[in-house]
Amino acid sequence: MIGDCDGIMRLHFGKRFLRGAVLAFGLAIPGFALAAESAAVTSPRVTATLLSSRDAVAPGERFKVALVQKLAPHWHTYWLNPGDSGEPTQIKWDLPAGATAGDIQWPAPKAIRVEPLVNFGFEGTVLLPLEITVPADAKPGENFALKAEATWLVCEKICIPEEGSFTLDLPVAAASTIDQAAEARIDAAIAALPKPAPFRGKLRDDAGKLVLDLPGLPAGVADLRFFPISDTLIEHAADQPFVAGDKPVLTLTRSSAFKLEKPEISGVLTFTEAGAPRALTLLADADPALMAAGATAAPETRPTVIRIPMPAEGADLTLWAALAFAFAGGLILNLMPCVLPVLFIKALGFAQLAHRNRSEVREQGLLFLGGVLITFMVLAGAVIALGSLGSSVGWGFQLQSPPLVIGLAVVMILIGLNLLGAFEIGTSVTGLGDGLASRGGRLGAFMTGVLAVVVATPCTAPFMGAAMGYAVTQPPAVALSVFMALALGFALPVVALSFAPGLLRLLPKPGRWMLVLKQAFAFPMFATAIWLIWVASVQSGPQGVLAALVAVLAAGFAVWLVGVTRGSFARRAFGSVLAALVVLGAGWFTVQNAIPGAATEARAGDIEAWSPERVAALQAQGKPVFVNFTAAWCITCIANERVALSRQEVKDAFAKLGVVYLKADWTNRDSRIAKALAEQGRAGVPLYLFYPARREAQAEILPQLLTVDGLIAAAERAAGRTTKTAALP
Amino acid sequence: MQSLTRQTFIAGLALAGLAFPAAGLAQGAAKVGAPAPAFQAVDVEGKTRNLSEFAGKTVILEWTNHDCPYVRKHYNSATMQNLQKDMAKEGVVWLSVISSPQGEQGHVDAAKAKELTVQRNAAPAGILLDPNSKVARAYGAQTTPHMYIIDPKGTLAYMGAIDDKPTSSAASLEGAKSYVRQAVAELKAGKPVSEASTKAYGCVVKYAPLS
Repeated sequence: MIGDCDGIMRLHFGKRFLRGAVLAFGLAIPGFALAAESAAVTSPRVTATLLSSRDAVAPGERFKVALVQKLAPHWHTYWLNPGDSGEPTQIKWDLPAGATAGDIQWPAPKAIRVEPLVNFGFEGTVLLPLEITVPADAKPGENFALKAEATWLVCEKICIPEEGSFTLDLPVAAASTIDQAAEARIDAAIAALPKPAPFRGKLRDDAGKLVLDLPGLPAGVADLRFFPISDTLIEHAADQPFVAGDKPVLTLTRSSAFKLEKPEISGVLTFTEAGAPRALTLLADADPALMAAGATAAPETRPTVIRIPMPAEGADLTLWAALAFAFAGGLILNLMPCVLPVLFIKALGFAQLAHRNRSEVREQGLLFLGGVLITFMVLAGAVIALGSLGSSVGWGFQLQSPPLVIGLAVVMILIGLNLLGAFEIGTSVTGLGDGLASRGGRLGAFMTGVLAVVVATPCTAPFMGAAMGYAVTQPPAVALSVFMALALGFALPVVALSFAPGLLRLLPKPGRWMLVLKQAFAFPMFATAIWLIWVASVQSGPQGVLAALVAVLAAGFAVWLVGVTRGSFARRAFGSVLAALVVLGAGWFTVQNAIPGAATEARAGDIEAWSPERVAALQAQGKPVFVNFTAAWCITCIANERVALSRQEVKDAFAKLGVVYLKADWTNRDSRIAKALAEQGRAGVPLYLFYPARREAQAEILPQLLTVDGLIAAAERAAGRTTKTAALP
Repeated sequence: MQSLTRQTFIAGLALAGLAFPAAGLAQGAAKVGAPAPAFQAVDVEGKTRNLSEFAGKTVILEWTNHDCPYVRKHYNSATMQNLQKDMAKEGVVWLSVISSPQGEQGHVDAAKAKELTVQRNAAPAGILLDPNSKVARAYGAQTTPHMYIIDPKGTLAYMGAIDDKPTSSAASLEGAKSYVRQAVAELKAGKPVSEASTKAYGCVVKYAPLS
């Protein structure tokens, strides 16, 4: 039995319900979206792709694409002015009639030393963004084929001219489909482009040297470097001494091939401000006297116009979409079997109170909201902080620690025991969220919010994947707003209930049915605990199960002990101290025994373990590859495995088409898997990828809710058995 | 792409992490209109050659690296060889200079340099081996190819690119303007060189560390 939580979910809601919920929120995932990234052109030095912010385009719209160059360490490609040697990347477009492509929006270059010379270019991964305009008369249903021939020179110690052909077939539809992950990547690149300088520079001669006046440059900047677009202006490798002050001046060295054809120069100015790198596009008036000193007019081989970065229009939309997804995901979390009992009991508490005191109900609703918000912010802060420290974590990371999983199982058991009435928690002992008890205090309401979030973490709702993936790639403020939207969606039903007397009146009057229901709800909690203990068994093997059961035993014993030692102070003190010792001992035992990775790898059966090399090797052999990024603690993953992946029709189709099924199991921490998820713009599982049976071909990303038909169709596409199905409007 | 990527070649980098002032090169380099920097280098025949021995003749210096795609563009199409032969007819002394230091790509010994000349049917008057990058440093050579023209009086008359198409694509040769032909023709006619200094393009010249 995999995941009792899953079993209950199907019992109560089923996948039809889930899909209904998807539609109800108006956020239907359209079929199987095509990955908006071309097949990669690969050499040992460069992996290049054409990335589109749209899966489908609308007539007349302008959208962003980018040529992505992923460079091997120490290799570089070139900026518009390549410096002392080299050649900039160029793209020639072959577009449908009426479509146009804008110029490359060049990122700020780096000065790459090749002593004693210098090159201007890019290392690592570089995105060269530009805009494509779809003709207004494009017909929905047509194919909008983006074809690009790109050439670039890539150098390390050796320089190699490379070229690549890229093709992206995007369907034309009445309304465009945004590829969230691709758009987020392109927007990030656009956000990092040099910004137009709010001032003009002035270039003049000073005793044979060229000096560039920079009035309006902020104070406190350092590490200035001017990259001219013209390659016949300055000696590129020469130092550029900078004098700060109220008249900031950068001193340049005249090029041996100095040539100035008009009294204006342009370029990019890079510097650091308060330690942060900045880049501005700069226009400067050149002293006309310099022109006379320049050589005769020869045709310019390079454009001298500065490219003003395109506005990141769409960036807001992306954020709003992420917020909407997060909010919807939060709402859906309420229905998770691990969460529902907690919230239902809270609601029943309201119902009881509502007959007496409505303002107290409202107050409790707000306190619950506070608990939810603060807990989400703490979790979000942890994800952001760990992420910024370079730790490869994602959402759900808290379940990668076996002791924490066991801790959650204990919490579930205790909630279950409490629901059954095995013990009562006084208002002084609030650690378990005493709001569960029908009497409910203020702190209890707040703790219920905390507890609800804690028990919700195993059940990542389907919409949360994309939103979380977006959030973790954004600046902390944006990431926190996404988590905030999630928290608000999550808290909405209970808060709404506390504020809407009409809704409360719909609840039956308190009575025996409440007791029965409360007791009944203990069982989903126990089921969740069983599932969590199973997760611990996957993570830590038999020792993990032992540790979990000992922890449960100790917790139960401690709670019982506190319950029976009521009365005098001495009795209570004795009971509390003994209970604390038992809990501490069990905690120590758990940490000692629940060691991640202790479980064997054998559970996958005929499913192979994932590795990027294995994918590449299988593709090279001409086999389509399905990769399931999953974790034992991911409820959506297990639901998908049950309703789609483990179905006989899917197994038959995979066998017939020769699909190799690889599993990337993220139950325990794995930086390679975290990296692969990040590359697809995700922060957590599930993620389903279908790699076509062609060497180096890019994977198709499947939706987070799998269906049997969808999986089989994707398998056929990957195997090249059917023509594209997504071309229809 | 596949066929091109096989044409790998090395384009220059002195030993990584060498810290000497980059500006020193540019500022000490040759200047059009000024006397060309004197040099002394051993040629592939083992003979020491001096700039002074060519007094009264026009001299062309061609920085080269046989595996550089930009150099190959000019040799594979026989453009460079034809230019060398035409210049020889004009009585111009053509010296190819190879500056890659030992242990770096592009470094060749005399035998290999001669073999390359035969293989490519090239026609320089001489090939200078500059493994210590002394001549390159004196002239501030940046790329392969990088062209310098010294007039009969020993004045630097031209420095820069071989033509006006800064790309490694062979298709660019058609319609390209040869700065070298233009400068030599103008010198011969007794006119000032109209485009005496252009931006050289190509692969980076690899320098030996300053000893």
